[in-house]
Amino acid sequence: MKKVFGLLVSAFLVLGLMSTSAFADAAKGQKYYLKYMKDGSGMNGAKFATQHTQAEWKALFDGKAEKFVAEYGKKYPGLDGFLKGDKFEKFMPDIRDFCVEFASDSGNVPSC
Amino acid sequence: MKKFIAPLLIGAALSSSAFAADDSLKQEVEALKAQMAELKDAQSKINVDALRAQVSEIKAHDAGDNIKWNVDFRTAYDYVDYKIQGADKQDNGVWTNKLILGMGAQPADNLVFKGSLAAYKAFGQTNISSTSYFQTFDWYDSQKPNDSNIRLREAYFLYTGDMGDVHYSASFGRRPSVDGFLANLRNDNENPASPISHNINMEFDGASFKFDFDKVTGISGLYAKLCLGRGFSNTTGAYSMNMSSMGFNPGYVNDDQTPNMDLAGLIVQFFDNGQYKLMGNYLVAKNMMDMNVQGIAMTPVYTSSGLTYVQKPYFNFADVGDMTGGTLSLQVNGIGDGISDFLDDSIFFLSYAFSKTDPNNNQLGAISSSGLVSMAGMLGSSDKEFGSSIYTGVQVPGIMKGQRLGLEYNHGSKYWRSFTYGEDTLAGSKLAARGNAYELYYIMPVVGKNLTAQLSYVYIDYAYTGSDTFFGWTGTPMDVDSTPGAVKTAQDLRLSLRYRY
Repeated sequence: MKKVFGLLVSAFLVLGLMSTSAFADAAKGQKYYLKYMKDGSGMNGAKFATQHTQAEWKALFDGKAEKFVAEYGKKYPGLDGFLKGDKFEKFMPDIRDFCVEFASDSGNVPSC
Repeated sequence: MKKFIAPLLIGAALSSSAFAADDSLKQEVEALKAQMAELKDAQSKINVDALRAQVSEIKAHDAGDNIKWNVDFRTAYDYVDYKIQGADKQDNGVWTNKLILGMGAQPADNLVFKGSLAAYKAFGQTNISSTSYFQTFDWYDSQKPNDSNIRLREAYFLYTGDMGDVHYSASFGRRPSVDGFLANLRNDNENPASPISHNINMEFDGASFKFDFDKVTGISGLYAKLCLGRGFSNTTGAYSMNMSSMGFNPGYVNDDQTPNMDLAGLIVQFFDNGQYKLMGNYLVAKNMMDMNVQGIAMTPVYTSSGLTYVQKPYFNFADVGDMTGGTLSLQVNGIGDGISDFLDDSIFFLSYAFSKTDPNNNQLGAISSSGLVSMAGMLGSSDKEFGSSIYTGVQVPGIMKGQRLGLEYNHGSKYWRSFTYGEDTLAGSKLAARGNAYELYYIMPVVGKNLTAQLSYVYIDYAYTGSDTFFGWTGTPMDVDSTPGAVKTAQDLRLSLRYRY
C-alpha cells in the first residue's frame, strides 16, 4: 500500500513540474466585481456581464482596456476612480474573463 | 525576295492582332471597373452593425435554446485507514471514478433549468451492494462509490422576477444541496451549492423561495431563502404484496409504518461584499427516523467447514422525534486590503453550528450487547440533547501560481448531529464527527482549470460513536476508548485527477 501511495505522490509532484501556468480567472473576476464595482454600477455581476457580447467585451478590454475604462468611467461615474486606479490594472485580466464568461451570447446559464 | 516578304507579312499580321488585343483588354478592364463599382455600391448598402447584431442574436438564441452540458470527471485513489477499539486496525486502497454531467437551459430570461446526473463507482466489479443495507440511500446516492449506474443528482427549475426592488426566485425539484458554502473550498468548486455545508450536505428533493433585500436595505448581498424539503417519502410501491389477503395493495399508498421525514429551513445571507460574507441558517426537521429492528433472521451459509448461520436483522424505519439546528458562518475572501498579494489571495473562515433533539416516546426495536431490546428517544437519550460544532480553515496560494493549499479543523460535541451524509469523504463525514477532525489539501492546475490534481488528507479523531448514523438508537454516543469495536480514528488520504469543461 505504501509503495502504491509513494508512487502516486511522486507522480503528483512530477505533474506539478509539468503543469501549465495559471491564467486569468473568471471566479476571481466575479469576486473583484462584487468588491470594487457592484456599488458603482448599481447592478449585480450577471446583469453587468450581459451588457455586451463576448466579442464586444474582448474588443473593449483589448490592450490595457483603455476603451473599457473610457466607456464605463463615463457611463458609471461611481466606477471612474476604481477604473483609473492601480487595482483595476492589476485585476483587469480576471474582470475581463468574468465579463467574457457571462457575456450576453455566452450561453452560460446563471444560477441563483 | 521571298525571304524579305515573309517577315514583313508576319510583322503586319502581328501588329494588327496586337491592336485587336489592346481593344479587348480595354473592354475587359472597363467591364471589371463596372463590376467593382457595382460591388462597392452593394457593399455600401450593407449594414455591418445590423449583421453583427443579427449574428449575436442567433448565437444567444442557439445557446439558450438548447441544454448546455458540462463535464466534471474525477479519477482518484483513496487510502482509508481505521483504528478500532479492541480489534486490529483496518485499511484499504480504493480506486474510484466520479462523473457528474451538469446541464443548464434558459428558454426565457426569467426561467432557468439546472440539473446533473452522476455515476460514482469503484473500479471494476464490486461486492459493495451485498455488504451494506444503506449503500444507495437517497441522501448520498451520487456521493458514495458504488456501481456504474447513472443517478439523478440535481434537477430543478428557477423562476425569477421582481417585486419592486425585491428580486425573487422560486424553485422546485431535486436540490443543489451537496458541496455547499465552505465545502466548496476543499472540493475546489468555484460556486458553492445552496446550503451551508457545516450542517447540511446531502441530497434531497424540495423547493426554495429566495428574496433579495440588498436594494431595499442598502446592505450588500442581503437575501433570505426559505427551503422546504422531504427527506423520506412514506409510500408503498406498485404491486406491493398484501400478505393477509394474499393479493396486491393499491400502488403508492401510505404503509402506516414509516414516517414522512420533512425539513424546513431559512438561509440568510446577512452580508456579502465580495470580501466579507456572513451567512446563517435555521432548520426544523420533523419525524426523524431510525431502524426499527423487528427480528433477527438466521441465514444459512455454506463455507469450506460446512453449514453455518449468519444473523441479519430485518427492519423498517420509524419516527423517533424532531430536530432543530442552525449555523452562523463567516468567510473572509482576501485578508486585509492590499497588504500583500499573498493575503489578498487568501481565504479564512469560521463557523459555529448547533443541533437540538426533541424525542418522542416511540419504542423501536434495537440491537444491544444483550440482544434485541426496545428503545425510545433520540441519539440514545429520552431527553432533549444539545450538540454543537465549530469549523474553521484557511486556503492560501500554493508554491506555483494557481496552486492552492488548504487547512481545516472541526470539533463536534457529544450530541452533535449534522445532516452531512453527502460529504465527499470515503471515511465518513468529517463535519459530523463527535471529536476532532483535521484536513490538509493541495490543489494544482495541470492544464489550467480543465485538468487539476489534488492531494488531500483527512484525519478524524473520534471521542464518541454514532456521529454519522440515523437519529435514534444508532446515534447513541458511546466512549470510543471503552466500547469494543468502536472506530477510534479514521484517515482518508486521497490523490485525484479531475477534468472539467
